[in-house]
Amino acid sequence: MTTFNRRDILQLLGIGTAGAMLPARAVLAATGKDTVTMAWPSDVPSWDPNKRFSPDAQSLFKLVFDQPILQAPDLTLIPSLMTEWELAADGLSLRFALRDDVSFHDGTPMTAEDVRFSFFERLQSGEKLDIGNSWKHITDIEVTSPTSGVFRFSRPAPTAPEWLAFMGSFVVPKAYMEKVGSEAFRDAPVGTGPYKLVDYQMNSRMVFEANDAYWGGAPEIKKITVDVIKDASARVAAVQSGQADLTINIPVRETERLDKIYGITGEINPITRVILLQMRNDGEFASDNLRLAAHHAINKAALSKAFYGGAAVPLSVVAPPGTPGDVAGYDFAYDPEKARALLAEAGFSADNPARFKMATTNGHFPSDFDIARALLQMWKKVGIEVELEVIEYAKYFELNRGHKLPAATLYSWDNATGDPEIFTGYLLNPNMPFSSWKGEQPGDQIPALFQQPDYDKRIAGYQKLNREATEMGATIPLLQSVQTLARKSDLSYLKFQNGWVLGNTMSWG
Amino acid sequence: MSGPVMKLLLRRLLTLIPTLILVSLLLFCILRMLPVDPAAMSLPPNATNAEIEAMRIEMGLDKPLIQQYGIWFGNIIHGDFGASIHYRTAVSKLVLDTLPATIELALAAMVFATLFGVLGGLWLFYTRGGVVESVLDLGTVALLSIPEFLWGLFFMLLFGVSLDLLPFIGRLGAGVDRPETITGFLLIDSLLAGSPLTFLDAIRHMILPSVALGLSAAPPIMRILRSTLMDVYQEDYIHQARQRGISEGRILIFHALKNAFLPTLSLMGVQFGFLFGGTLLVEIIYSYPGMGNLMVDAIRNADLPIIQTVGLTYCVMVLLISMVVDVLYLVLNPKLREA
Repeated sequence: MTTFNRRDILQLLGIGTAGAMLPARAVLAATGKDTVTMAWPSDVPSWDPNKRFSPDAQSLFKLVFDQPILQAPDLTLIPSLMTEWELAADGLSLRFALRDDVSFHDGTPMTAEDVRFSFFERLQSGEKLDIGNSWKHITDIEVTSPTSGVFRFSRPAPTAPEWLAFMGSFVVPKAYMEKVGSEAFRDAPVGTGPYKLVDYQMNSRMVFEANDAYWGGAPEIKKITVDVIKDASARVAAVQSGQADLTINIPVRETERLDKIYGITGEINPITRVILLQMRNDGEFASDNLRLAAHHAINKAALSKAFYGGAAVPLSVVAPPGTPGDVAGYDFAYDPEKARALLAEAGFSADNPARFKMATTNGHFPSDFDIARALLQMWKKVGIEVELEVIEYAKYFELNRGHKLPAATLYSWDNATGDPEIFTGYLLNPNMPFSSWKGEQPGDQIPALFQQPDYDKRIAGYQKLNREATEMGATIPLLQSVQTLARKSDLSYLKFQNGWVLGNTMSWG
Repeated sequence: MSGPVMKLLLRRLLTLIPTLILVSLLLFCILRMLPVDPAAMSLPPNATNAEIEAMRIEMGLDKPLIQQYGIWFGNIIHGDFGASIHYRTAVSKLVLDTLPATIELALAAMVFATLFGVLGGLWLFYTRGGVVESVLDLGTVALLSIPEFLWGLFFMLLFGVSLDLLPFIGRLGAGVDRPETITGFLLIDSLLAGSPLTFLDAIRHMILPSVALGLSAAPPIMRILRSTLMDVYQEDYIHQARQRGISEGRILIFHALKNAFLPTLSLMGVQFGFLFGGTLLVEIIYSYPGMGNLMVDAIRNADLPIIQTVGLTYCVMVLLISMVVDVLYLVLNPKLREA
């Protein structure tokens, strides 16, 4: 039992009166300049990165764990745990070599057995892992030496390297996991990453300490505290008050306002996330002319200026500029007159407006509901009247899976790899639950592209598909989405095109 | 413990069982009516329909609703509240991990609401009939009409950002180590760990959320105290006390307040229940890792096992509070004990 002496009690009383009113900043000042406090919008689903993942958790997972392959800031694949990888010409196997100087936080060396365990044995054991759906076509991972092996697939897997750098594809320690079990692992995770998790309180705070033995070099920032602050206003307040050094996903207007405050920098960065209208090919939208009229009536530049400070790039295909699926030079014009003409061809006029229903989320991505309302106004000008329905994000998947979404749905799609397979390949594939478009065209090209091992042919196929999809109104790409970020001006970090904000790339001054 | 108190406790415990069964049934049925599929939610978005169907069977969702309820309730009796769809971990662990923070916050808010409410009620009574009472009345209406989350945002901007006086993120500052979890109640754990600085930091972090939460609970306490004091002052024993030359202050505090406090106590019990509900948004604003925070996440993710369990926990808490208030009422009121 703890006892208190006179000094403790005096300390309690003294700090109780004066300390309660002590400026928060004064406390923070003592934390020095090799620490960073981040205000993050969400927690990790769990500390088992293979089990459950989400895009926002990726930057947190990457503090503790490593992926076999890394992405450079421009999203090109670069070596990480894997120094080399080679996809076979038929796409049915992937040979890899590993670094020989990587250890887990508990000191055990990372080997090809850990890769086999993370991507194959765990799935075979029947554990319910989200990566099970990413890697369901693995038939085996042969370990040829402690630092090399071969992935075997039941069907060509041309995007296997991209998937090794994507969500949930982290290497976990076989020996430790088998020793403590999956449940205990989540309470005390061990990875090979640049930081060790030293304290975690769900939905509140996580504290990371630098792994000075990190194979990629000791991180400059020695301690990172991540406060989970789900309310955007509170994240803004945290940065403004100095209680946090960096935050993301705050309203665009607040980002612009913070940027005007001395010592704080606000950024609106385009990332590999697209905002689009997911279309149905039946019901009110069975008419090609109506879908295309709806597209021509949208002034995307105005949307970007109004809601993203002009930083969100207007899109003509479902691929952000600079990613492989983009079609350079192709522009789907904003043309209200053409929209009216197409509507007239479809039998609609000002007196007989086209009508359809549209769904949107409210708060799932920045300004979603506002964009939906602006679309309604743009359409009204050309003779389209739309009934707007707000749906929950959780309900979106349910409705899409059951093919119950209305004629159009405003949605945002994230793809950190930038590869067209995870854009068009998922969003327009009628066989996948992500697509509300169930027409045979243009999705019938996708199964072949999924198995096309020749990179150039695959990318050319997706570019053709992207253009066709837009021109037939199978989708209405709107904008490249943005990530808002506010930070102390003297805190720098490496900017990734996919929005990763990695603690080990940060430095002060 | 006296006989009447024991009888009351027994009676309340017996009514607790059917109440919980009814609430659990309602919760279960209402949640099953939501247009979300727990089986689909528990799998990655790219799961196939066949995989979802298999999961539906595994989760027992193919069985009739009443049978599903029976399985769920049977498991609860054995302490198994199921696994979270989102976190993929035992719901009981999640709730037990977060409940102490919510209780701590709700208790702090109740302490504030009681102090503010009782002092305000006495002031209202003291200034009755005057202009000050009208002004104070108007103030209580204003306090009542502003919801707790708005107070939360306002205090955060005023005391956290503009004046920079108090922290508003989580339960502890970034430079303060969390004590070992023994009870889950941070104030108690920090004292057990012999860490007065942690204790004080936790208090500092608790000020804004508890005031925001307790502020709207105080006005009803003020008003009921004022009106019951007015009633009590019509009683003969007050006149007799005056005739005996006892000062007005002593009459108020030692004679009138004791009797006027009983209806106020009942109201405080009800208010405490509301405070628990109010923690949902306040915990989100202040990043407080409590059950409200967990519940908001669960609603966002359609995590039915968590929603059900947290709902039941709220119900149990309210029933327990009501039981404690009833016991206190009995202890403080001799007439009831005799009856």
